[in-house]
Amino acid sequence: MQVSIKWLKDYIDFLETPEELADKLTMAGIPVENVIRADQGLEKVVTGRIEKLEKHQNSDHLQICTMNVGAGEPLTIVTGAQNVAEGQIVPVALVGAHLPNGLKIAKGKLRGVVSMGMLCSAGELKLDLSKLTAEQQDGIYILPADTPIGMPVNKVLGLDDVVLEFELTANRGDCFSVMGLVREIAVLTGNQPRWPLIQVQEDDADTAAGLLQIGIDAADLCSRFSARVLKNVKIGPSPVWMQQRLESAGIRAINNVVDVTNFVMVELGQPMHAYDYDAIAGHCLQVRRAVSGEELHTLDDSSRKARGEELVIADAEKAAGLAGVMGGLETEITAHTQTVVLEAAAFNGPSIRRTSRACGLHSEASGRFERGVDVTQTLRALNRAAQLLQAMGACTVCAGTVDVYPQPVQPVQVSFTVQQINDRLGTRLAGGKMTAILESLGFKVEATGSDSYLVTVPSWRNDVAYMADLSEEVARIYGFDHIDSTTPAGNVMMARQSDRQTFIDQMKSIFCSLGMDEENSFSFTHPSMFDKLNVPQDSPLRCAIPIMNPLTDEYPLVRTTLLSSIFENTVRNLSRKNEDIRLFDIAPVFFPKALPVTEQPDEVIKVAGLLTGRRDPLGWAQNNAMVDFYDAKGIVEQLLEGLHITHYTVERGEHYAMHPGKTAFFKKGREIIAAVGEVHPAVAAAFDVTKKMYIFEMDVATLMKYSAAKFSYQPLPKYPAISRDLAMLVDEKVCASAIEQVIAKNAGKYFKSVCLFDLYTGKQIAAGKKSLAFAMQFQSADKTLTDAEVDEACAHIMEAVTRDFDAELRA
Amino acid sequence: MDEKIEQLKQEAAEVIRKHAATLTELNDIRVRYLGKKGEITNLLRSLGQLSQEDRPRVGQIVNTARVQLEALIAQKNAELKARELADRLSSEEIDITLPGRMQPVGHLHPLTLTQNRIKNIFMDMGFTVEEGPEIERDYFNFEALNLPKDHPARDMQDSFYITDEILMRTQTSPVQARTMQAHEPNAPIRMIAPGRVYRRDDYDATHSPMFTQVEGLVIDRGISLADLKGTLELFLHKIFNPDVGVRFRPSFFPFTEPSAEVDISCVMCHGKGCRVCKGTGWLEILGAGMVHPHVLEMSGYDPHQVSGFAFGLGVERIAMLSYGIDDLRLFYDNDLRFLRQF
Repeated sequence: MQVSIKWLKDYIDFLETPEELADKLTMAGIPVENVIRADQGLEKVVTGRIEKLEKHQNSDHLQICTMNVGAGEPLTIVTGAQNVAEGQIVPVALVGAHLPNGLKIAKGKLRGVVSMGMLCSAGELKLDLSKLTAEQQDGIYILPADTPIGMPVNKVLGLDDVVLEFELTANRGDCFSVMGLVREIAVLTGNQPRWPLIQVQEDDADTAAGLLQIGIDAADLCSRFSARVLKNVKIGPSPVWMQQRLESAGIRAINNVVDVTNFVMVELGQPMHAYDYDAIAGHCLQVRRAVSGEELHTLDDSSRKARGEELVIADAEKAAGLAGVMGGLETEITAHTQTVVLEAAAFNGPSIRRTSRACGLHSEASGRFERGVDVTQTLRALNRAAQLLQAMGACTVCAGTVDVYPQPVQPVQVSFTVQQINDRLGTRLAGGKMTAILESLGFKVEATGSDSYLVTVPSWRNDVAYMADLSEEVARIYGFDHIDSTTPAGNVMMARQSDRQTFIDQMKSIFCSLGMDEENSFSFTHPSMFDKLNVPQDSPLRCAIPIMNPLTDEYPLVRTTLLSSIFENTVRNLSRKNEDIRLFDIAPVFFPKALPVTEQPDEVIKVAGLLTGRRDPLGWAQNNAMVDFYDAKGIVEQLLEGLHITHYTVERGEHYAMHPGKTAFFKKGREIIAAVGEVHPAVAAAFDVTKKMYIFEMDVATLMKYSAAKFSYQPLPKYPAISRDLAMLVDEKVCASAIEQVIAKNAGKYFKSVCLFDLYTGKQIAAGKKSLAFAMQFQSADKTLTDAEVDEACAHIMEAVTRDFDAELRA
Repeated sequence: MDEKIEQLKQEAAEVIRKHAATLTELNDIRVRYLGKKGEITNLLRSLGQLSQEDRPRVGQIVNTARVQLEALIAQKNAELKARELADRLSSEEIDITLPGRMQPVGHLHPLTLTQNRIKNIFMDMGFTVEEGPEIERDYFNFEALNLPKDHPARDMQDSFYITDEILMRTQTSPVQARTMQAHEPNAPIRMIAPGRVYRRDDYDATHSPMFTQVEGLVIDRGISLADLKGTLELFLHKIFNPDVGVRFRPSFFPFTEPSAEVDISCVMCHGKGCRVCKGTGWLEILGAGMVHPHVLEMSGYDPHQVSGFAFGLGVERIAMLSYGIDDLRLFYDNDLRFLRQF
């Protein structure tokens, strides 16, 4: 919605600048998004006459103009334009002008001749070129010969109006009109509006009722349908003042009849439509639901098949227009129209909204109907339009109106007490102040007690039905700024968040301490991702939920795995030469209970991580090796330790996206609590990555289940521990963890821990063998152990590993 | 004899001064004069040959000379040690301009950091943190918030639908209704609900199909618009700075009445008007209002008994203003050069 200051001032006076008015309206809940000045940059552009035109001595194309710009001495201006002649009146940008295109005009010298300004083209003045002839578009903009000289060019060009562009809220349908805005301005400025006197001379003997039949077949979708008939219509352009008003409202002028319907719509907020009477089959108009499959041929010359829910205005044969959205092509007003039917109706907002969205047609009318129009106004609007056309001498007006209004709406009444409103707002306003505000807004207020009132809501305020709504009216006019700032009294509340949220916070902080960066990724994915990730065809991961109306083809599904996102982010980083990557993500994925979806899906919070590139930041003293499987595994182990998850087993696993020989599952019993592995070469290739990548995946609920809820500390030992190292040669295929298990099992009661501290294969060792070295600790809670006790335990261990693994012990 | 002693002492002092360049040399000197066979020691031994009356006097002179020499040696010793330490330290000098050894350090996402700050401020005020599903029923996302089907305000939030009745939540507000319904009717509530929300917006510098919101709700007896103002002013002063200007503009949301848009004075230009605030000096920062009686009723609360206020704010917006980020896509682009700045 946009309206010009001039149009507003037709009905009310105010001294505020457009910006001040915009601010007042905005702070009262009528938000002005922009104050548009068409003449911005034209402050120092005036009209001037070319008194003398000479050729420039030092140039083939430059000409020297002697300009009369009214006051003062004539100016010398050098121009390169060729379409100028002596005696012409043109726009002159004076020294100091800052044109809309950014050009700053300064005193200049062109090939030795001083120039005191510039002659302007239409483009330089930022005029709407689409309205100009080709000649006007090119070269200097030549003004009419009778244009006064020395005038600001914005006045001459009618650009001195300022337009307010509103971003109105959905509840204030009444403000989608000049009248509605003037009402608000009157309250905010305290000035009296001047409403137009609406009266019409019915100067045609024919009666509307005699010429036209109307009816409503869908009373639930149309509460009122009214019409007038105009005869002897002379189609032509509307007067310039009306065209200017419409243009300032962003509406293109078409012809007098259409312009008047648009003018009344913006003025009063009542959308109207004009039909060519002779094109209406049977001379009857019926409001009804479209028949499914029926042809709808609208003014934009597009044709569509009705779905059957649309509301249409039909004549005896066919739909003659989409009610409240757009008229039909066949009954359009043309240059030959002689008799006009003017229609003003009140359609059901939601129905209009559905139709307009389904057809992809949004019009000034549909926008107003969606928000609700004042049903009492249809006849006023018809009379106003007839009056305006009659004043232009464009028609005669048939006697009477036709008006179908089956159930006249009753005014809404709301009661309130002063205390109720003060309690809601936190104010101590007197009842008189509240009633004064409400009355100024057109509410009728009646006292029903010392503190209580009954309010009748004006017909145009379909957004007010409760005391809470009245409180808003009081608050916005009183001013939100005048209301105190307090903090809630009453119950003391204890802050808390869910255990899961605390657990996730804890995980994030552990990941950070392990050098992992947190990513934040969209919940969407594409079906091709499952192939890239090597997800088996029968995997539930492939049962991702489709979005009915995805934004683009790129993301039609809701994701079932975080790996798709973490790979996308990795690939993006690699393409930008960010090669050392340690990313993690904790976010939900979505599994439908069944497809197609009938109920809310399961939302499962997953953890994923990816490592690739160097182990440490690059540096002279850094470990510049690349990360490997054990870096990823170590992150998982340290995370589990930080979460107090212990006593798990680690086994070889199979994961669709991981290298079959380099995949580990962390398990509690048979339940997998973490999977870690090198990215399967086929998956890496699918993402066009040649570097080795390592990933891990976990599930927050599973981790939480095994995370010790209560953690207590282990007392520090009183007696020292004794260490022993054990080095051995075993077959390459033997798992280190198996040896550790045998050590633990055979180490006796003082055994404390075992740690593999060296692993070697290579030259000094027989092929097919590897050398392992373990550090073992022994400790007693009651005494200092003797060497003999520890030696005995070691002897058992050595015997067991020699026997079980054919180990060759090394000194 | 006396002269001899004095001469010897002078000589030794001279030698210590001039010829003890190292600790070893000093030790040699000590042995030469004070060692078991040293010259001063020998003198002491020869005291027996002196007469009875000379012996104590001469003995004292020799002893004094010895003590003086020992002091000289000790002093020289300290000097030499200090010099030696200084030499060692200077030879051990390293290039301290070389970069230190780095551990890989992880970073929380700026949206997590911002969300945590928001959460902490509200938790300090006694708010609980509630959660709700991201794929939500139309009922909770719209209808329970006084947004029936075909309500024009639904246009403001073009939604991703899964079915006609299930959608990706367009706001964190459904957690309001869920939380109320989980409470005894009219039980007091002070909650926030942070989380991801989804709208069918094209992806550009200021819009994203997924973003992060924090919803807030306070319900109790006697909660007023003044309480809303006070609470949100406190929050905005904490999250930005105590001097930031705050203004409340009347607005419209179907689930609140009265409703307000809350603006802060532009944090970039301090209200003077700049590109970020489009010259207005103000930045829209959150939407708020007094909970609509319908919304209370639909979730089993009695609007005659209790009242409340609700608010919703965008985490991205606050993060962008806090860190001076001008393109929302950076949050979802996950470029490490961006992530590692936080």
